[in-house]
Amino acid sequence: MAETAVTTTTPGRAGLFRRPRFRAGTPVAALVLGVAVGAALLVPMIAPLDQSAVALGRAALPPSLPHPGGTDDLGRDVLHRSIYGLRVSLLVGVVAALAATVIGGVVGSLAGLLGGWVDRVLMRVVDTISALPHLLLGIFIVAMLRPGLGAVILSIGLTHWLSTARIVRSELLSLRTRPFIDAAIAGGAGRTRVLTRHLLPHVLPKIALATTLMIPHAVWHETSLSFLGLGLPPHLASLGNMINDGQRSLLTGAWWASIVPGAVIVVVTLAIAALAARGRDHLDPRVRAELNL
Amino acid sequence: MIRVVRRRLAVAVPVLFATSIGMFLLGAASPIDPAMQYAGAAAFSMSEENLQQIRDNWGVDDPLPVQYLRWLGNLVQGDLGWSTSRHQAVTEVIADRAGWTLLLIGITLAVVLTGSLLAGTLAAHRRGGLFDRGVRAAAYAVESMPVFWLALGAIAVFALALGWFPAGGLTGVRATSTSFPDVAHHLVLPVTVLAISQAPWFVLFVRDAVAESLREDHVLAARARGLAGRTVLFGHALRTALLPFLTLVGTHLPELVGGSVLVETVFSLPGLGAVSVQAALGGDFPLLAAITLVTTAVVLTANLLTDLAYTAADPRVRIDG
Amino acid sequence: MNPLLTVSGLTVRFQLRDAVVAAVTGLDLTVRPGELLAVVGESGCGKSVLAHALLGLLPANAAVSGKALLTRAVGPPGPVDLLACGEKTLAREIRGRRIGLIPQSPATALTVVRRGRRLLAETLRAHRRDPGLADQVAREAGLDPADLERYPFELSGGMAQRLATALALAGEPPLLIADEPTGGLDRPLVDHTLDLLRRRCDDGAAVLLITHDLAAAERVADTVAVMYAGRIVEHRPARELFSAPAHPYSRGLLDALPDREFRAVAGHPPMLTALPRGCAFAARCDRVSGACAIQPAGPVACHHPLTTAEAPA
Repeated sequence: MAETAVTTTTPGRAGLFRRPRFRAGTPVAALVLGVAVGAALLVPMIAPLDQSAVALGRAALPPSLPHPGGTDDLGRDVLHRSIYGLRVSLLVGVVAALAATVIGGVVGSLAGLLGGWVDRVLMRVVDTISALPHLLLGIFIVAMLRPGLGAVILSIGLTHWLSTARIVRSELLSLRTRPFIDAAIAGGAGRTRVLTRHLLPHVLPKIALATTLMIPHAVWHETSLSFLGLGLPPHLASLGNMINDGQRSLLTGAWWASIVPGAVIVVVTLAIAALAARGRDHLDPRVRAELNL
Repeated sequence: MIRVVRRRLAVAVPVLFATSIGMFLLGAASPIDPAMQYAGAAAFSMSEENLQQIRDNWGVDDPLPVQYLRWLGNLVQGDLGWSTSRHQAVTEVIADRAGWTLLLIGITLAVVLTGSLLAGTLAAHRRGGLFDRGVRAAAYAVESMPVFWLALGAIAVFALALGWFPAGGLTGVRATSTSFPDVAHHLVLPVTVLAISQAPWFVLFVRDAVAESLREDHVLAARARGLAGRTVLFGHALRTALLPFLTLVGTHLPELVGGSVLVETVFSLPGLGAVSVQAALGGDFPLLAAITLVTTAVVLTANLLTDLAYTAADPRVRIDG
Repeated sequence: MNPLLTVSGLTVRFQLRDAVVAAVTGLDLTVRPGELLAVVGESGCGKSVLAHALLGLLPANAAVSGKALLTRAVGPPGPVDLLACGEKTLAREIRGRRIGLIPQSPATALTVVRRGRRLLAETLRAHRRDPGLADQVAREAGLDPADLERYPFELSGGMAQRLATALALAGEPPLLIADEPTGGLDRPLVDHTLDLLRRRCDDGAAVLLITHDLAAAERVADTVAVMYAGRIVEHRPARELFSAPAHPYSRGLLDALPDREFRAVAGHPPMLTALPRGCAFAARCDRVSGACAIQPAGPVACHHPLTTAEAPA
């Protein structure tokens, strides 16, 4: 029996049992994200930007060494402003993601802990909101509250808490049936103690992950609203505002004014997606489905 | 069939009802004074008395439940109110523009479904091959691109640099009436951009579902019978993978609607999306609320249709019901 | 008569993430026209892998070596090697046409959203036969043509079995592989299925019956190959094997039959990911000696075969 002369039916493919993922991409993604976040944090200290400064003398210059992202129709450095925009967008994204997590966490805990009709009503609310077009709902919220930073954060928070609520609820429901909770209750532990000592440690890591993965969604929502002129105040350098401003320059050929800030969003989102793809293999499928991965 | 319709309606009616309450409360909490909005620029020259007159006419100062019931009653009777941003009845605004949005979304959906079924199935067929890797990489890349950015890029390349397609609008500048070829030419870029931005989710789903289906017993058995590769792939693997896909198309519609708002804005299409942005900028509650409700109703109807399609496509549901 | 199928040295390995499954090792067998060969063994011994290997239906992580020569009806002279001819030849010439497969668990092997008639007509068309023959083929397989209008999920186990058989017969293959065709059926249905296979042989076709059911093999088989841990341990004419088994494992299987001693073989078969050196049955064998550390060979793969006197009557 010539064991060495083995012929494979389909050469070189043993990947059947493995999910494809960004293996080589992971360090690159981490590096890219690190550089982007680092720039957003450090650039304002090294090279502060005067948001209202205008230099018509060097308006609409194409990308060059002194201005790697070119300048817009008011002569402002596009890359410099994009870094500021990323800073604003990330800040809004993080705060809004936290707001959504708080709303989702409270609703999910109430539903999961109280059960019964509270659970049914709350879950019906969740289903209702998830049947609505989020962007339209977000526009409605911003419009009713008047566009501005607070309205944008609220608009994201009120439309993005659904997945967190579902995750928290289903985690709590599955924990309630686990024997160690019964054991704790039988051992005389009070409600608060069971909650803080036994339930919270199990649920928190998943909430943390959900919040992290929500940040890009929140950034997108903010950018979309700003792009429509419904987000942050127009003079502020935010990525959405810049792309919106850049629309005008597009017609005069200055494509970089809108394409460069957009590219910043794309690169950062790709990096986060690549890292998330690595993390999601460790998630259980239920949570993965909720997060739309 | 009837049972499916009844079950969907039992969900749809409370959803619409809850949405209307939620929106009304948001509108009531809004700092925007509807009377000022109605009067527009004239509000500054108007006396407080006149403004109060408008408020009284509209019952703005009535208790909230009264106001809500009046609004809901009008909605049910088909009176959607007066758009303060367009100075037109809301029904008229929607009637004028809903068609274009439905056209954009409808064509896009058809393109996305055909394209993703084809690309996803072929990618699954040669799992790990060049086409599969290309499709997956493209899908992940496109998923990271905001649709409005994609739209601007498309305009920069295909409208401005190459001049193949118009950069916006539905008809040529000199056109006096709408003609089919003109509109079709104007729709190529918006539909393509919206379709591409929505495609990744669909393509990846089809790919994974078909890839899984290809490993199932019934597909192996079909191959063992000596059926042609194409028959096995489309008639057996895709056929069974399609069933869960159908229901998921319905749940993905809200995202498509969101994308259409952005695309309409970039390409200055006269649809509901663009007008809702204007309404939002003008704090136009009646129009925004109506658009949101109408869209929700359309999404729910589409969900019902996909459910019915599922029932028709799966004999197990059709017969056992 | 010349053999229809000659398998020699067939070896199948599955590469898992951190292990290699030795599903089939150095398997030799021949099937002649008109012969019913039963491959018997406990579940998980590699029997079904054999069927899928011959039809080129193994998953991508499988590595196959050896030869499986099948005589051709048309085309170039000489036999075709099923393991080397490639997907195109298998799909166009072999599957359904030269080798028909009655799959294990027919219920999951039928595409649920399509009626029996459409499946059968589609298969007939694929083999350039008149789809109008569906009723006739169904009857050949013992299926009432009226049941062709049903969806697979509306069929009982026996009906699904017959539909699967009809689908396998649609291309009139000279070799029929039946993978556990009696699983989950009650005795009258089992007998019906076996008699149908026997009739195919009597009409000149060859049948490879893969089964864990020794009683089934005893009823219809001309030749029996006993498989253990991926190897054939005894390959002999049925009458000889059932009257005087030579391998201790064969005797153990026979003893397990209800109409004999009704006593199962003690112990469990070894893991196919960690086969012992030498005879794989040694751990369960009462005749084991130092010699058993070396892999035995021959038609009876045992260093201490039973004599005719020792075998049960």
